[in-house]
Order: sequence, then structure tokens, then C-alpha cells
Amino acid sequence: MAKIEFQNIHKSFGTTKVIENLNLTLEDGKFNVLVGPSGCGKTTLLRIIAGIGPATSGRILLDGVDISNVPPGQRGVAMVFQSYAIYPMMTVRQNIEFGLKNNRVPKAERERRISEVSQIVGLEPYLGRKPSQLSGGQRQRVALARAMVKEPTVFLMDEPLSNLDAKLRAAMRSELVQLHKQLQTTFVYVTHDQVEAMAMGDCIILMDQGRIMQQSDPETMYRDPDNIFTAQFIGTPPTNILGLESESFKLGFRPEAISLSVNPAPDKAFTHRVSILTREMLGAETLYKLRLRNGQEVMARLTDSSLMVGDELYLQVDEENLYFFDSEGNRVRKTLSQQYGAMLERVTRSHES
Amino acid sequence: MVAPAMTFLAIFTFYPLANLVYLSFFRYNLISDKVFVGLTNYRNLLFVKKDFLQALENTVVYSFAVVFFTILLAILFALWLEKDSWFNRFIQKSMFTPYLIAMVSTAYIWSWIFDVNSGLLNAALALIDVSPLRWLNDSSLAIWCIVIVSVWKSLGYYLLIVLASLKSIPREIIEAAELDNTPWLRKFVRIILPMISPQIFFLLITITISSFRVFDSVQVMTNGGPGNATDVLVTYVHRYAFQMNMRVGYASAAGSVLLFILMVLTIFYFRFLGRKVHYQ
Amino acid sequence: MYSKHTGLDLRRGVTSGISFAFKLFMLVLFLFPFYWLIITSFKTYGESIVFPPTLIPRNFTLAAFEQVFSRLNLWNYLKNSIIVTLSVIIIQTLVGVPAAYALARYSFRGKGVMLALVMAAFMVPTQITFITVYIMMSKLRWLNTLLPQIVPFGASAYGIFLLRQAFMQVPADIIEAARLDNASELKIITRIMLPAARSSLMTVSLFSFVGSWNSYFWPLVMSNSEKVRPLTLAIERLKDQDAGINWPVIMAGNMIMVLPVLVIFLLLSNKIISAVGYRGIK
Ligand SMILES: Nc1ncnc2c1ncn2[C@@H]1O[C@H](COP(=O)(O)OP(=O)(O)OP(=O)(O)O)[C@@H](O)[C@H]1O
Ligand SMILES: [Mg+2]
Repeated sequence: MAKIEFQNIHKSFGTTKVIENLNLTLEDGKFNVLVGPSGCGKTTLLRIIAGIGPATSGRILLDGVDISNVPPGQRGVAMVFQSYAIYPMMTVRQNIEFGLKNNRVPKAERERRISEVSQIVGLEPYLGRKPSQLSGGQRQRVALARAMVKEPTVFLMDEPLSNLDAKLRAAMRSELVQLHKQLQTTFVYVTHDQVEAMAMGDCIILMDQGRIMQQSDPETMYRDPDNIFTAQFIGTPPTNILGLESESFKLGFRPEAISLSVNPAPDKAFTHRVSILTREMLGAETLYKLRLRNGQEVMARLTDSSLMVGDELYLQVDEENLYFFDSEGNRVRKTLSQQYGAMLERVTRSHES
Repeated sequence: MVAPAMTFLAIFTFYPLANLVYLSFFRYNLISDKVFVGLTNYRNLLFVKKDFLQALENTVVYSFAVVFFTILLAILFALWLEKDSWFNRFIQKSMFTPYLIAMVSTAYIWSWIFDVNSGLLNAALALIDVSPLRWLNDSSLAIWCIVIVSVWKSLGYYLLIVLASLKSIPREIIEAAELDNTPWLRKFVRIILPMISPQIFFLLITITISSFRVFDSVQVMTNGGPGNATDVLVTYVHRYAFQMNMRVGYASAAGSVLLFILMVLTIFYFRFLGRKVHYQ
Repeated sequence: MYSKHTGLDLRRGVTSGISFAFKLFMLVLFLFPFYWLIITSFKTYGESIVFPPTLIPRNFTLAAFEQVFSRLNLWNYLKNSIIVTLSVIIIQTLVGVPAAYALARYSFRGKGVMLALVMAAFMVPTQITFITVYIMMSKLRWLNTLLPQIVPFGASAYGIFLLRQAFMQVPADIIEAARLDNASELKIITRIMLPAARSSLMTVSLFSFVGSWNSYFWPLVMSNSEKVRPLTLAIERLKDQDAGINWPVIMAGNMIMVLPVLVIFLLLSNKIISAVGYRGIK
């Protein structure tokens, strides 16, 4: 039961402003993922929720209650730190127990919760060990167990998987998703990896330079970006963005939305003559770097691997896969704007001239 | 949380310092009233009486000797005892032990070893048919005896520090030099010494500062004698403040000179620290 | 090829032989004075001055120790040394730990100045401040108490400095995790910071102990009666009262003084050695 609301949040370190006037609502029970490039303020936002790095100004509400002045230990939130922050001088059991003791949880209850949690994360055999005697993955589990045992209303995680190897990371990803299904509490999960964000989140919050660029479910994030930043951050390779001659707006389409053919089909919205610069065979798919006649380059991702470097072809994109952005980089949608028709027409004509 | 600590430091460190410099401009013997005399004390100290300059000279000679031998021996022994073995660790421990013992005890033990009539050293000299020396009673030897005792007492401590800094040199750098077939001396001069030079410099300053404060060993072993051959700054200040009619103002002036010397050394040291932080 | 090889082996053998012999010599040089201290204290006065000196006491006797106890009220000196040393360690810890914690973890106005003052105080020797502290103490009429040997050492600049270094090494994340676990500041200090700074704390206490137990100059100045003097000053009395110096008695007195330090060192030597080395390169 916890909805988190940020109201007019500002945060500066000394004179550098990191977050300016941020408003955001994280719904109850969701697996929220905060994603964005390094240094955009994800950790800062998480620390504001936890209360360990309070905002410079603005309010933060938990289920409608202002908790801006509640000390971190009494907010009912638990956090898994990027560095795990396990107490090195305590055993695994003492690590898990520490918060419970501070909150005066009775002994019997503590025992019950510790054995339950350590069973879930598979730490039972290691309860008597010191953190230095654990592997990276096991330490990560200690950090997780320490958070879970408090039965928090909000679960904060700051890139908890970034120190693990690829295989363990994949395994832990699905375990965390399962854990969320089990606990049904609000998760706020920070990552800078868009693949992880797409794979795990119910709700993705994409940030850049302290601002929220888009907040939506993964599907929408991918299919219906609000701006150039989102279009390019989500998906690999990133969305191709083209400027058109003597136009202020920009055109975008995903590498996988491209079709290439010797004879252009007549019903496509965007057609352009291209030559293949490079070819990268990935297995099921192949990446091509293409050069347009005006010198701009775009990436295409196709299942067809038969095309060769030097081939001259027609690049085509359907209307539903074209994104238009205004000069600020914001999306111009079909439903919302009259400009859309004009832009589409100019794009369609651009190859005839 | 810092207040109690700062209060202690203010009352027992900074106020006494200021007061010392203040008193150095007065004639004062704890009983009569203070009389302002300007720079008279300093003039007497530096230009009229000869004994202060003698004490200063003794202190400087003592300090240079201690610094030189301690650092030289610490480096040599560190290189020699560097390999981690049971025996080497045992030697390191043995060498460190005197550091923890009171200088008073050390001084008594060595006085006994230096004893002219029944001391161990003269007995050893007799064994090889050398006529006995007068050690602490010999005005030209005495100060060197005190130097030996100081080096003996603290060498083990500085050895440990040099050893630790040798260990902090990344192994790969040494290994790279060995792969390049660098001769031993060249490896030491071009690689090891530059890598540990910040610590060596640090030791240079700390040993110098602590040498200028020498008192216990001199007091016990020679009491400044014979004559004033081993009189040093602190015994000098102590003598004038508490024995020679309690000439507190005059002793304060002598203390202020010592303070000035230590301050110059300290500033030197801070400068260096600043550079080291920069360097990392 | 073959002969060159054995030549090398031979040279190596000789080098390591010399090296070993020299190491033994070092051991003698550093341990023999202690041996000499011990055996002299078990000799009779007569045996101590025979020539050539005996390396093993012919008549093993406790006479020197008996003399020490009969000539001095040794318990009084011992009691003073213990009270002063323990008080200094306790007060320094109580005063120094919070100060070091605040200087390591909080930012507040004047922090830079305070740090500079601590560093400066670290450099000021008692051999300079003693004149004016003495005047202060005599005005307070404290000179016939143990207070002048304790109170001026209430804050150890060196200890604060070293502990602060150690506290700063504790990752901020861990302290924040503890805050999230609802731990009070006191609990953070006792459960997180002090265990993490254990080896620095041990070093600081050890050097406080050694410094206080061994101090000679300060109590010499700051006491005006035998009643308040520590062991270091007692030995001088063994010397004064005799015409010829009775070395066995003096060595027996020194034995009593040195023994606690030696015992502690023997018990903790590995820890002490590594703590000293580590501290040195910081
Ligand atoms: N204590 C601090 N003092 C000054 N600036 C800080 C401090 N902490 C963070 N910043 C700045 O605030 C900005 C946001 O930092 P934050 O740690 O929130 O980034 P992040 O999104 O978590 O990045 P990453 O993915 O690299 O962890 C950065 O530009 C950083 O330089
Ligand atoms: Mg971060």
C-alpha cells in the first residue's frame, strides 16, 4: 500500500542544481523502473524517497501523507544499495537482524522472519558467515534479504545487479520480478540499462539531466515515444533521426521498421534511395549501415542477410512507423496536431523531387 | 561533539603557546610582578650568554646525526628484511621492542652498558686489549652515546614504516623492472627510492621534530654534562625555568626560539603534505 | 655451463650465510640490552661489578627487588602510574571519538578551521607548553594531585586525527543503510564506526598507554611531592640515595616498570606490528 508522489522537488549540491521542479507519481504496487544515462539523477531521486539525501525543497508524499520530515528509519522503506552497503563487521544473520532490533521487533518474530527470508533468497547455509567470506552474488542476496526482512511498504533498489556477471544478472532479474509478484509492494528499481528496464518494469520512468522524459509502460515507451531522447534511449540500435532539407522538424524511424528493396513499393509513406556501407551479421538478424543520397547515415535491422556492401536499394518506412518531432525534439502526434498532415506530406514528396 | 576536544586543545595547547610568547617579553620569576623588558631576554639569549647557543648547537648536531643514521639504517634494514619470513618478522619485532619501552629505562640500561668502571662496553674493549673509554663522561663522546641510544630505541619503529611503504609499491612495477633486467642498484635508485620518497620525506620531518624535543635521555644519562657538552634546548629551558632562580621570562624566550624552529619545520611539513595530496 | 652454475650456487650460499650471521648479530644488538637488564636485576651488587662481567648470574637472588620495595613505597608510584594511564586513555577515548566522528561525517561551519587546529596541536610538543601549563597548575593548586598529569591530555590531537581518518574510510552507503535501519547516532558509532576503526582505535590506545606510562618529563615538572609521582620518577630515587650506583637495584626497578609494556607487546605483537606499518604509510 504505497503510492509515492513528488511535488515540486528541487535538489542541489552546493551550487549545482541536479533536479529542478520535478513532479512525479509512482503508483502503488507497481514495479517502477527509473532509467536514464549516468549522472541524470536516479540515485538522487531514490535517496530523496529514502530520506537519506533529502530534497532541497518540495514535498514528498507517501500515500498522500507528507513524509518530507520523517527520519529515514521510520519511513517504512527499504533500500538495496548499488554497493550493497553490507555491514562488514557483522555476520549475515546480524546484518539481516540489525534493522529489526533497532525497530524493537520481538525476538521470536525476528527469528521467524529471518528464517523465512533467508529461505527465500537461499542464504540459510551462510547465516553465520562474515560478508568477506561470501561471493558477489551471495552478498547481493544479503542486501536483498536485509531489505525484505523489514517488510517495507516501498522497496528501493539502486542498480542492484550491476556488480554481477551476465549469467547471474539474468537469473536475478527474473527472481526479482517473481519477488515483486509475491510481495505486491511498490518497487522502485534504478538502472541505466534500458534492456533491464524494459525486461523488468511495469512502469518505466525515463530521466535525463534531472528531468522526467517519459513515464509509461514498456510497450508504450518503445512504440510511442514522447520525444527524440526517449526514441533514441530505448531500443538498439537507437531510432534513426533525420533532418530534412529546409525543414525545421525531424523525422524518426526504428532500424527494425525499415524495409529495403530493389523496386520501391508504391504505398509507403517514406521512400529514399540508399547504398549499403557496412554489414554486421548478428545471427537471426543483420545490421546494415546505409547512406542516403544527401550523405546522412541510418541503421537498419533486418532478418534478410543476403544484402551486400555496395548494393544500391530503396529504403522504405510505413506511415505508422514514422515519428515526427518538432524543433524542440518533442513528438508531433497524428491525433494531436494539424501540423502532422503537413509534415507527412512533405516527407512523402521528398523523394519524388 | 567537537566542543569538548576543542576546549581541551584551547586550554592546554593553544593558550599556553600564546602565553609563552607573551611571557618571553617579561622578567618574571613566579613570585615577583612581571616587568616588561622588550627583547632583552632574546638579546641575552642570542648575543650575551654563550650557553644557549651551545645548547642549540648540541641540539642541531644531535638531530642531524639521529635523522641521518635512523633513515639510512631504516632503509637498509628494510631492504634487507623485506622478504616475508618467520625469521625476518621475528627480527622486526625484536627491533621494534625498544620503541615501546620508556626512554628512562632505556637510558638507565645504556648508562649501565656505558658505565666506565664495570660497564659492558669497556669490558668488551678490554677483551680485545683496547684501553677503556670514558663514554658518557667524555665531553666529545657523550653526545654520540645519546645519539646511539636514540637510534637504537626508535629504529625498529621507522623500519616498520619503511617496510610498509616498500610493500605498497605495486608488484608489477618491480616485476617489470626485473623483466627489463635492471641491475639491483639501479632498480633501487631509479624505481624503489622514488616510489617511497614521500614516506621518507615524511620521516625526515617527523624525526627531526622529535629530535629537537629530546630531554629524557639527556636528563637521565648525563644531565647535560659533562660541562654542558650535552645540554640541549629542552634541558636548557627546563633548567632556567625551574632551577636557576626560576627565570621564567628568560626560559620562555628560549622556549619561543624552540617553538619558532619547530614551526618552520612544521610549515615545511604541511607544504609537503599538500603536495602529496595533489600528487595522488 | 655446469661449473658456472655451481659457482653461482656457492656465491649464493656464502651471501646467505653472511646475511644470516648478520641477522643474528642484529638480534643480539637489539635483544641483549633486555637480557642484560633482566640478569643484572637478579645479581648481587658484588657480582654486578666483577670483571669480566658474568653472563649468567652465579647466585640467583631477589635481593635487588627486596631493596627496591624496602627503600621505596613502590605501591604508591605504581598506583599513580596506573591511575594516570587509565584515566588518560578513558578520557581521550570519550572526548576523541565523538570529535573524530563529527569531523569525519558532518559538515558544519568552522570545520576547516577546527581540522587545521587539530593538525597544529598535533605538532605542538609538551616540551614547549610546560612552562605556562605549570604556572596554570600552580595557580590552581593542583601540583600535589594527579590532575596535572591527566587533565592536559584530555584531548589527543593525534588520536582524533587518526580516528577521523579511519572513520572516513567507512563507506557513506553503510552509514545510510544503518540510518534506514533506524539506528541512532550512538548506535551508528558503537556498532558500525568503532568496529570498522578497530585497528586505529587499538593503535591510538596503545600509544596513549605507552606515552602515558613512560612519560618522565611531564610528571617531573608537574608534581611537587613523592605522593603524586609515577614509576618513571621513582627509579631516580634508587640512584640518589647510594654512594656508588647499585646497578642491580636500578635494573630491578626498571624491570618492574618495563614489564607491563613488554607483556602487552608479547601478547599483541602481530597486531601492533601490522597496525604501526599500516599507519605509517597513511
Ligand atoms: N554529493 C554530491 N555532490 C555534488 N554533486 C553530486 C553529489 N551526488 C551527486 N551529484 C551530482 O548529481 C548528479 C546526479 O547524480 P546521481 O548520483 O543521482 O546520478 P545517477 O543517475 O544515479 O547516475 P549513475 O547511473 O552513474 O549512478 C550528477 O551529475 C552528480 O555529479
Ligand atoms: Mg547512481
